[in-house]
Amino acid sequence: MEFFQENIHLKEVFIQLVAFLIVFLTLKKFAWKPLLAIMKERRDKFEHEWTHIEKIKKDVAALQKDYQTHLQKIEEEARIKMQEAIQEGRRIAREIQEKARADSQASFEKAKETIGIEVEKARIELRREIAKLSLQVAEKVISEKMDGAFHEKKALELIDELEKKL
Amino acid sequence: MSIAEQSVAQTGHVTEELPNFITLLNQWFPHSGLVHFFHYWENIVFSFLVLGLIAHRFIGAARQKSFLPKGRQNRCEMVVEGITGFVTGILGPKGIEHVPFLGTLFIYILIENFLGMIPFMKSPTSAWSTTIALALITTVYVQWVGIKEQGFFHYVKHMAGNPQGLLGLALVPIMLVINLSIEYLAVPLSLSLRLFANVSSEDKLLYKFAELTGMYWGAPFPFQIFANVLVMIFSLVQAFVFLLLATVYISLIMPHDEEHSDPQCGASSAAH
Repeated sequence: MEFFQENIHLKEVFIQLVAFLIVFLTLKKFAWKPLLAIMKERRDKFEHEWTHIEKIKKDVAALQKDYQTHLQKIEEEARIKMQEAIQEGRRIAREIQEKARADSQASFEKAKETIGIEVEKARIELRREIAKLSLQVAEKVISEKMDGAFHEKKALELIDELEKKL
Repeated sequence: MSIAEQSVAQTGHVTEELPNFITLLNQWFPHSGLVHFFHYWENIVFSFLVLGLIAHRFIGAARQKSFLPKGRQNRCEMVVEGITGFVTGILGPKGIEHVPFLGTLFIYILIENFLGMIPFMKSPTSAWSTTIALALITTVYVQWVGIKEQGFFHYVKHMAGNPQGLLGLALVPIMLVINLSIEYLAVPLSLSLRLFANVSSEDKLLYKFAELTGMYWGAPFPFQIFANVLVMIFSLVQAFVFLLLATVYISLIMPHDEEHSDPQCGASSAAH
C-alpha cells in the first residue's frame, strides 16, 4: 500500500487523464479526422483512377484485338485480290501470247502468199521476156541472113542476155 | 518484488534518474516558488511538453491538407498510414474509427519514452501516475467501445460469462466479479505497471551508466552508448506493446459473428 501511495499521486493521475483527453479530442477533431479524410480522398481518387486505367486498358485491349482481326481480314482480302490479279495477269499474258502467235502466223502466211504472187509475177514476166526475146531472135534471124556459126553465136548471145536478166 | 518496488525499497524514492532541467533549476533556485511548483509537477510539465509538441506537429500537418503531401504532412501521413494499417489489420476495416485514439496513445507514449534520452529531459512514463492515467483511459475507452458495439444488455451478459442454463445463472455473480476485476483492475494494472517498470528501469539504466562513466573517467562510455540504443529499442517496443494490447482489448470486446458458437469466446476472457 505504501508503494502505491508513494508512486501514485491522484492529482497527477487526474491531470494526466484530463490533459490526455483534451489533447486526444483536439487531435481527433483537428488532426486525425482531416488527415484520415485527405488520405481516404487520395486513396479513393487513386482507386477511381486505377479503375479508370483498368477500364481504358481493357478498351485498348479490345480495340487492339478488333484491329488485329480487322487487319487479318484486310490482309486476307489483299492476298485474295493479289491472287486474283496474278491470275488475271497470267490470263491476259496468255491471251496476248496467243494473239501474237496468231498474228505472226497470219503475217507469215500473208508474206508467203505475197512471195508466191511475186514469184508467179516474175515467172510470167520472164515468160513474156523470153517470148519477146524469142521474137527478137526470130526477127533478127529472119531479117539477117546468117550462116550456121553466126546463128549459133547469136543464139548464145541471147542465152547470156537471158541469164543476165534472170 | 518488481524492479520498481526494489528501487523503492533500496532508495526510498523512485527518482533515481538523470537530472532534468527542472531539477537543475530547483537546485539553482531552491527558494523560487515557480521553480518549486514546476519541480513538484515535473511529470505534468514534461507530459504537457509532449502533448503540445504532438498537437503542434499534427495539427500543423493536418492544416496543410495538400493532395500531394510534402514535408511535415508527408511524415505525419506516413505515421498515420502505419498505425492505420496496423490497427485495421487486427480490427478489420471497422477499426479505422479507433485509429485516432490508438494513434494518439501510441505517439504520446513513444515520444514520452524517447524524451528521457534527450539530455535534461525526463520520460513522464517513468512515473506510475502517468502510465496509470493512460491505462485507465484505455480501459474506459475499451469498455465504452464494448457497450457501444454490443449494447448494454449484451455487454453485461458478456461480463457475466454468457450464462446458459441454471448452472450458468448460478455462476453469474462469480463471473461478474472475475470479469469486472480483470477488465477494470487487472488490465489497467498490468498495462500501467509494464510501461512504468520498463521505462523507469531504462532511465535507471541510463543513470547508472552515466554515473559509471563519471566515476571511471569515461571508460564505460561505449557501454552507455549501447545502453542508449537498447533504451531506444525498448522505448519503441513498450509503446508498440501498449498499442498492440489496447488494440487486442478492443478486438476482444467487439462483437464477433461467430461468438455464440466459438469456443474462443471463453479464451478471450482468459487472455485478459
